[in-house]
Amino acid sequence: MKTFRNMTVVLAMSLPAAGWAQELTTINVINPLPRSTIFYPLIAGEALGYFEEEGVEVNLLPSETSIPYVAFVQNGQADLAILDASETLSAVGAGTGIQVIYEANQRAPEGIAVSADSDVQSIEELAGTTVGLVTDRDRAFLAQALYAVDMSLDDVETVVVGEGGPTLAAAFRDQTVSAISGASSDWLALQANGIDVRMITPEEVMLNPAGSFVISEERMDELRGPVEGFLRAWSKGAYVGELDEEALAEISRQAVPAEWENEEFGQNFLAAAIDVTLPQTEQFGGLQPDVWESLQERLVAIGAMDEVVPVDTFLDDSFVGPANDWSKDEVADELQAWADENM
Amino acid sequence: MPAADADRGDRRSGLGLQQRRALNHAAIFLTIVGLWELGSRMGWLDPLFYPRPSNILRSFWLIYIENGNIWPEIYSTASLVLSGFVAGSVLGVSLGALVGLNGMVRRFVKPYVIVLEATPRIAVAPLLIAALGFGASSKIAIIMLVCFFPPFINTLSGVVNVDEQRLELFRSLGASKLQLMRKLVLPDALPVIMAGERLAMTSALSGALVAEFIQRDQGLGALIMTYTRNLNMASSFACIFTLTILGFLIFRFMEWLDRRIAFWNSEEGLQRVGARRRKRMEGLA
Repeated sequence: MKTFRNMTVVLAMSLPAAGWAQELTTINVINPLPRSTIFYPLIAGEALGYFEEEGVEVNLLPSETSIPYVAFVQNGQADLAILDASETLSAVGAGTGIQVIYEANQRAPEGIAVSADSDVQSIEELAGTTVGLVTDRDRAFLAQALYAVDMSLDDVETVVVGEGGPTLAAAFRDQTVSAISGASSDWLALQANGIDVRMITPEEVMLNPAGSFVISEERMDELRGPVEGFLRAWSKGAYVGELDEEALAEISRQAVPAEWENEEFGQNFLAAAIDVTLPQTEQFGGLQPDVWESLQERLVAIGAMDEVVPVDTFLDDSFVGPANDWSKDEVADELQAWADENM
Repeated sequence: MPAADADRGDRRSGLGLQQRRALNHAAIFLTIVGLWELGSRMGWLDPLFYPRPSNILRSFWLIYIENGNIWPEIYSTASLVLSGFVAGSVLGVSLGALVGLNGMVRRFVKPYVIVLEATPRIAVAPLLIAALGFGASSKIAIIMLVCFFPPFINTLSGVVNVDEQRLELFRSLGASKLQLMRKLVLPDALPVIMAGERLAMTSALSGALVAEFIQRDQGLGALIMTYTRNLNMASSFACIFTLTILGFLIFRFMEWLDRRIAFWNSEEGLQRVGARRRKRMEGLA
């Protein structure tokens, strides 16, 4: 049945768009992954029709390119980018003219992990050892974690082990490195495959705007309407994670079956996604100037930034209000209606 | 065993040469798969890198039948391969012919093309995306770049290396430029051009994968990345084998096309077309 449905989708893709379809504004969003459970607000919002309701369709631009994402926001190919805090602050420091408008992940999906069998119990014990990085971008996070315990990158050796699953897993399992700095999606894959990990991330760096939507300052007024609609739909999708994990799992199973071939992996992945998505602030996507300030202080201290940039020059909270202008009861009813029909 | 004895053996067992060959291939394949399965079960092979064949088989069932999630990706990759190949071939053959036929153009264009050929395409791919934007156009441009060179080089070589003696003969008989092209240059160059096309088509698949590894929105490359990242190696291998089968089918199709278009290049093709023409002539008589 699913094969038939997919083939129908293929056929539909080759046909011209139906003339009677509602005119939707396309929002181009650049991020590292294609539609994935880790960005469940998108797939939940799409399943429940929230983006369409807002008159927007989301065109994800998932890419692994050597060119910084912010360049695509600047040249207009992307309307929004999901950047981690280090990327955001590098772009801000370089004077690229971007504004952070919504914190999609307020808890860092990044972390420092060791094998469950490892003797290492805390980050201090990494001194003098070789620490693996999933990608070079994880260096900044490791530096922050080390700084939190009065250490620096000079106290450890680093090596990029790569984000290719098996290579990373082998490095972990065989303990060729003492610890690995990477993202939750990397650990989940390991755990789902029977390789137990233990996190040793200092609590100080866990509260970290790890994934924020940024927009070009120049195009903010032009894009305001559709972006507000996009963020509203995103927030409603994010709320689904708080309402009903089972229904969300079913939505995810249907949207990204490739992540649910192993049910245990799918469930763990979803739980981690909910954990990093549900807001720490009162509102969905709320900006946390104090967190950005303390983060900058750490980055300046480790030499990743030259100086602290005043937060009011790159944080713009004017989108957060409209993004939260919806009723939780309505979302609950709509989710229930979806579950009744699909589960 | 001498060939004659083998043939006698085949006849005795009632098997034709083709069937015997197929059986031999099947036996080799099953032995490899069997050893692989055994090695995995006995713990000789690391499951992180070599998933069990039985698990790969299960993944084939999942991604083709139960979930069916591979079909849109195959469609996406195949469309890209075809579009990029057509664009690259048309450009390669046209420019190759132009450069081959015109000495002036050759002097100016050839060095640049050679420099471009020496540039690793994988390094240019992100720049192409930045220049042309996300979506099919930049992916097709990457594939086009990969597919451009074999037809270009082969067309150039085919056009330039026309048999001098035959060229003299055509000229002495007063053949026009168009007649030279149609009756001498093209028939002489076509087998070489088709060899370039075969190479281009098989490279197109690699180009598509590079494009999909960078732009992970859809296609088999993106699906492989998702599975590998999730350590779902069995499904990742199922996708890789799908690509192998796709590549094999593409190669066989190009061989078939080559035999059809440049039929005079093989004895079998000549006989086939000769027989068809004889039949047509007999019909007319």
